Amino acid sequence: MVKPIEFKNVSKTFRHPMKVWDRIEAVKDLSFSMENGEIAGFVGHNGAGKTTAIKMMMGFIWPTAGEIQVNGKDPGDPDVKKSIGFLPERPYFYSQLSGMELLSYFGKLTGIKGTVLRDRSEKLLRRVGLFDDRNRKLSGYSKGMLQRIGLAQALINDPQLVIMDEPMSGLDPIGRREVKEIIRSLKREGKSVVFSSHILADIENLSDRVLIIEKGLMKHFGTVPEIVPPDRIRYKIEFNAPDEMKDAAFSLFKGIRVVSNRFVIDCEDLDDFNVKLTSIVQKGYTVHDAGGVYPSLEEIVFSQSGEVAS
Amino acid sequence: MNNIISVSYYTFLEMVRNKVLYVLLFFALFIFVLGIAITQMTIGDNLDIISDIGLGTIEIFSTVLAIFLGINLVQKELTLKTLYPLLSKPLSRTEYVLGKFFGMIFLIVVEIIVMSLIFLVLLHVYGGPERLIAYLPAIYTIFLQTATIISVAVLCSTLTEPTVGGILTISFYLIGATSYNLVYAITHRTSENVAKVINTLRYILPDFSHFNIKDNLVYGRGLEGLHIGFASFYALFIVLIVLSLSVIFFNTKEIN
Repeated sequence: MVKPIEFKNVSKTFRHPMKVWDRIEAVKDLSFSMENGEIAGFVGHNGAGKTTAIKMMMGFIWPTAGEIQVNGKDPGDPDVKKSIGFLPERPYFYSQLSGMELLSYFGKLTGIKGTVLRDRSEKLLRRVGLFDDRNRKLSGYSKGMLQRIGLAQALINDPQLVIMDEPMSGLDPIGRREVKEIIRSLKREGKSVVFSSHILADIENLSDRVLIIEKGLMKHFGTVPEIVPPDRIRYKIEFNAPDEMKDAAFSLFKGIRVVSNRFVIDCEDLDDFNVKLTSIVQKGYTVHDAGGVYPSLEEIVFSQSGEVAS
Repeated sequence: MNNIISVSYYTFLEMVRNKVLYVLLFFALFIFVLGIAITQMTIGDNLDIISDIGLGTIEIFSTVLAIFLGINLVQKELTLKTLYPLLSKPLSRTEYVLGKFFGMIFLIVVEIIVMSLIFLVLLHVYGGPERLIAYLPAIYTIFLQTATIISVAVLCSTLTEPTVGGILTISFYLIGATSYNLVYAITHRTSENVAKVINTLRYILPDFSHFNIKDNLVYGRGLEGLHIGFASFYALFIVLIVLSLSVIFFNTKEIN
């Protein structure tokens, strides 16, 4: 099965803008592949290499080393673009065209014509909440509206793979929620989605797998539980005991506390967890919840870089 | 081909709504006021003077539009990043460059038609509207000259920022407009060997004298039948060479 995106040992260096002989390594030996129908989130600080990686997968720039395949082909091949939708970071479009004209323009480039194009344009304008503004010039659109029309143009060809660079940037909370819902609906339709974001909660909520990139290097690629270092997982057991056994239960372990009428005990590691859980079960207490508590993505990135991601 | 037409059409639409019409309006006022003022102040055939000014103004305004819109054609899209969503569609870079060029050509054709109509009104006021038919070859060669300037502006726009592109395109125009007379003047005032070298330059440098038939038509000096054909071939030759270079450069350019 052809993978939507595959990076094999991809590196990219740029010439330093001020020092002619110096090179900047934007991406270093990046290897990963996406599965069909999954959402992959790129996370990293400014200048980490997210946008460079996205530009390479769109064929705007070329890797210095390594190989990239999009739907099994070179990203520069115009045929590849037939099944791709792309939303750039802080999109800007032709200011003198209206929203409807822009979708007509981009739709024609993807080979859609006539009533099919008009119907799809109108449907997308409704989906992104711009139908009433469809005949307004884009010069009169706000930043958030440009982001929405950008999303609409990315979906005009009903793409199988959607690539978005900071899709939530510039949107108010309602707009962000709507974009998130669109991303989820794309997954429900079986499409693959790649998006980058600074907002770790968005990445965590939406992504099946997360790619953490730092100074051009891939730190992790996997689900949030997969990328958590084992020593960062905290184990917790919640249980209850009959009234006559409550005193005994409370003195069972050191550090036990009561939360919402339940006993809660934190464990030091997996071994400690197993010992305590066995003991609780043997004593006949009722276990309500037991398992690993994973740190949030923000905590993971925070602990790795030593600073909070914005 | 459909992609080239789409890019051309929307390039035209974007530019025609972008204050270009104000330039045309300014031209209309300029040509009327200047024409009327000059005919009041000079002795001679008013129609000849009006014709001279009219055709000259069409040339200047077409050149100015070609340079100042042409040099921004690709660079503006790079700066504003409107190029990213466009190139994310199934559109080759070659189609993009050709589409931009033909969009600009489309705009210049419309601009020349509008200015010619204004010119016709002026000729009508001075009693010689039929002259416009006789001037059509001159208007056509102005278009040819402008097409070569647009191709150079597009090339510069794919290569460098608008300021440098503007200087290069204006240089191309100035060299083209003066090379014939310069070469003629220099070769008649220098040694035979230097004259040979300078004469060789005539085949390398652009020479807009091939497009300059205004004076012949306005002052009734006649026109050789082959002139229009050669001018067409010459313009096509320049445009093909320069556009090919633009396509080659743009295909190897990283859109960063």
